[in-house]
Amino acid sequence: MNRNKQTEILGGVVTVIILILLIFLSNVETNKLSYFESVASSIVNPIQRIFTDLKNKIQGNSTYFSNMDSIIEENKQLKEKNEELETQLRELESIKADNKTLQDYMGLTKKYSSYQTIPAYVINRDVSNFNSTIVLNVGENDGIKENMTVIAEKGLVGHVVSVSTNTCKVQVIIDSASTVSCTLSTTQESIICKGTLENNQVLRASYIPTGAEVIQGDSVYTSGVGGIYPKGIIIGTIKEIITTSNITDRYAIVEPAVDFSKVDTVLIINQ
Amino acid sequence: MKKFWIVISLILVFFLLYFLQVDIFSSLTIAGIKPNLFVIYILFIGLFANQILGISFGVICGLILDLLYGKTIGVTAVMLCIIGFLGSYFDKNFSKENKLTIIFMVVGATIIFELGSYFMNSIILQFEREYWYFTKIILIEILYNVLLSILFYPFIQKIGYIIDRTFKRNNILTRYF
Repeated sequence: MNRNKQTEILGGVVTVIILILLIFLSNVETNKLSYFESVASSIVNPIQRIFTDLKNKIQGNSTYFSNMDSIIEENKQLKEKNEELETQLRELESIKADNKTLQDYMGLTKKYSSYQTIPAYVINRDVSNFNSTIVLNVGENDGIKENMTVIAEKGLVGHVVSVSTNTCKVQVIIDSASTVSCTLSTTQESIICKGTLENNQVLRASYIPTGAEVIQGDSVYTSGVGGIYPKGIIIGTIKEIITTSNITDRYAIVEPAVDFSKVDTVLIINQ
Repeated sequence: MKKFWIVISLILVFFLLYFLQVDIFSSLTIAGIKPNLFVIYILFIGLFANQILGISFGVICGLILDLLYGKTIGVTAVMLCIIGFLGSYFDKNFSKENKLTIIFMVVGATIIFELGSYFMNSIILQFEREYWYFTKIILIEILYNVLLSILFYPFIQKIGYIIDRTFKRNNILTRYF
């Protein structure tokens, strides 16, 4: 009887303890248990990770073997798709290049809207060390005539020296035989710009009036004198002024606005 | 018949040289100066073939170049015609075996061609001559032409003697004695 009584009392005490524990644990804030949680995790997780990795590996390998055929098929399809996309890319690049040329023409036409112009592009450049001529893809059939002015987006290129049915030759302003009558933008003084053998990237501005003030960086425009080039087309900027003992011999180096080694889209002024 | 095929081959060589000059040597320059392959070409035709072929090739090739690029028509034709004639003159008076002689021939031909072209153009187009810069350019061009001639002369010589035997039909050595 006593033994049964003791067992009943022990059972009751354990139940009360469990209840108290349950009440306590259900009401306590979980973050206060993080220490115990981390202790438990540090014991369990490394082992758990090993098992998880092992399981994933086995599952992955089996998937690899089971999906081999579908992967090959998928790869083939992707290759075909890639080829197709590459073809499209090439087509797109070609369209992009065409678009750029057309935009160049548009930009040029807008810029020189006061002139009636014919668009053209450079198909050949001179092979000699002493001449600077370019050949354009337009000729008599397009209404091109001798002495027509050729311009690019940034400025003056030159003038047409001879015309065939479908092409024309242009003497570039940097040619040693080329002479252009110009005006300085700030002082409106008249000067002559000539091509030179010294450097086929610049022009030499001579016949500067003795009283004229030439400023470095000053823009040089066509004066309209001479009958070939219309007035007001930019030629370039004054890069350097070379002073000599005799002021009448002084000259300036003009850097052309157009890079003649790279120019490929031009407009021919039809007048 | 062999002569015909040689002439056809020489025409093809002209076009090959044209594309080399336009597309390759326009970028491969020495201090911005290009060689003149046409002078070397016409000189060697005059030297290895005969006077008629040298002169006629000079005129035709010169006219083609004038039509393609020239500001004046005829200047290059006249000058290359002179180079063709000069080639046959050199052939009669100098040995083609000595490399030094070849170098002098190339130097002479380049000077005559460029000087003649520049002066004729300056007279026709009435532009101011720039002697100092002209000399600088021509010296570099001569150097370039000589270097190319030395480099390719063994090959040119081999082909040249085939042309020589076809057009002259006599022993090479006996012509000098």
